[in-house]
Amino acid sequence: MLENVKYYISVALYYFKLSLQKQFEYPAMIISCVFMIPMMYGTGILLLYFMVHNFQPLGGWSFPQLAFLFGIGYLSHGLMMVFSVQNWWIESYVLRGEFDRMLLRPLSVFFQFTVTYINFIGLVDVLVGLTIFLYSCKLINFVWSLHNIITIAFVIIGGVLIRSSIFTIFCSVAFWTKRSESLFLLLNDMLERTTQYPMTIYPYFVQFMLTFIVPIAFISFYPACEILGKDGRIVFPLEMSVYTPIIGIVMFILANMFFNLGLKKYESAGS
Amino acid sequence: MAFLEVENLVKEFTVTKKKEGLKGAVSSLFHPEKYKVRAVDNISFNIEQGEIVGFIGPNGAGKSTAVKMMTGILHPTMGSVKINGISPHKNRKAVVGKLGVVFGQRTQLYWDLRLGETFELLKRIYKIDDKMYKDNIKMLDEVLNITEIIDTPVRQLSLGQRMRGDLAAAMLHSPTMLFLDEPTIGLDIEAKHSIRNFIKQINERCGTTVILTTHDLGDVEELCKRLIVINHGKIVEDGPLNSIIERMAPYRYLVVELASPHHNLFHPAAEVVKTETLRVWFKFDKSRIAATELISDLSKTYPIRDVSVKEPDIEDMIMEIYKKPVIF
Repeated sequence: MLENVKYYISVALYYFKLSLQKQFEYPAMIISCVFMIPMMYGTGILLLYFMVHNFQPLGGWSFPQLAFLFGIGYLSHGLMMVFSVQNWWIESYVLRGEFDRMLLRPLSVFFQFTVTYINFIGLVDVLVGLTIFLYSCKLINFVWSLHNIITIAFVIIGGVLIRSSIFTIFCSVAFWTKRSESLFLLLNDMLERTTQYPMTIYPYFVQFMLTFIVPIAFISFYPACEILGKDGRIVFPLEMSVYTPIIGIVMFILANMFFNLGLKKYESAGS
Repeated sequence: MAFLEVENLVKEFTVTKKKEGLKGAVSSLFHPEKYKVRAVDNISFNIEQGEIVGFIGPNGAGKSTAVKMMTGILHPTMGSVKINGISPHKNRKAVVGKLGVVFGQRTQLYWDLRLGETFELLKRIYKIDDKMYKDNIKMLDEVLNITEIIDTPVRQLSLGQRMRGDLAAAMLHSPTMLFLDEPTIGLDIEAKHSIRNFIKQINERCGTTVILTTHDLGDVEELCKRLIVINHGKIVEDGPLNSIIERMAPYRYLVVELASPHHNLFHPAAEVVKTETLRVWFKFDKSRIAATELISDLSKTYPIRDVSVKEPDIEDMIMEIYKKPVIF
């Protein structure tokens, strides 16, 4: 068992090393992204700031509270961009027959796919998220107790798992249809609009769906409600440091199953 | 029990018929016309350990689909594959750890990195210990001069060098069976020669079973004692090269050199297939007429300076097979 874990870790680390090396072969691309992405999201947060200041708090949330919600959501988004952005490309993997090689190696295809790429540029998103998060922590007088730190860590890890699993599941549709790009775009928009704003601004039905059908609300909304003491409309026993990671793991297992189901339909590509 | 057993293997693909124009596109969306295509149609054969088998056939005959099913990439619609008694579809990981697969048109090497990096990754994936790794690199250096290119980024390698890299990558974990899908495609004579030499060497040294698909008849002539010819998804020939030629092309060519130009040469039992000013090629069925008889007949009528008999080669044989109509 321990041997096995060591084996998987050594393979994963080597995949990570290679994908980083690969990206450093082209420094120009990295530099341009490092400048572009913070500008894009900097304007996003500024817009939010002006909106809140010139109009009124959104759904009863003040700007510091909104920034805190945004920060948690954005941190898990950034880490997802680092570790599992390849989910977005399942369609082209299917169309170009790129799973062939993974099928020829004596390792789980889902494992190979999960570790096949690590996106260095995604770190920019993590930095943006971290900045906003730390800034908002200051504004809301966040208490850095051990309990709170563990809660935040678990919530973010769980959030990354939920996000990447949702993408895996939706993009795996390409195994059947050969196309999943529009689904992915829809999902990307949806995730952005639902993790950065309080869910109470949406109808109850939408929140219900995003809680029990596609559990996006656990990524940032419920955790933020809990820490900020806001009313989240749906009340859960126990804490979010339990829910988010467990839902994350369950989603990850489901994603693995769905991916494998799709892989059975895989038809490779003519050569 | 044979090493590789393929039994009644079938692969069907569902194809949606696309209609013409925008109107057709809309109607295809609502009433898709689907039909099934059999890429591989009920093939069966066995391969013993240590064989080198050539898998040949025209483009779209089903060679690659068959190879993909044998290696576990594609699931067959019907039928089964067993390698060393184990099905790659039921127990993929157990089977593929012992296989080496090279696709000539696609590489498994990391494009931007030095060749050695891919080897290091494979060393970890296949759990190759240091000693075996060193021995294999040494062996691969002897047959492919691999250390000469191991530190070059793959994108800077020539096609022939890249193919050497791909072959080495496929052999690092000492597979018992090697699948090569068009390994010599697009290569120059020298590179082809070194690849053929490699295949021969690893077959002799390591006893590796090799299945090779190719359009290059030189590969087949030099390497394969056995040929499987596939056309329209079916096996049309399976056997030693010589006997297939014998059966498919049971004729000879008689090349006649004339002393003076002569038109309208004729013989009732032979057919003129080609004429140059002083040379004429006759194609004849050796069961109908013996070469000696044909020569003596012709020399009675025409001023002949020289004759030679030519055996049909593999190219003639392949042409015969491709021409043959399919019987469903």
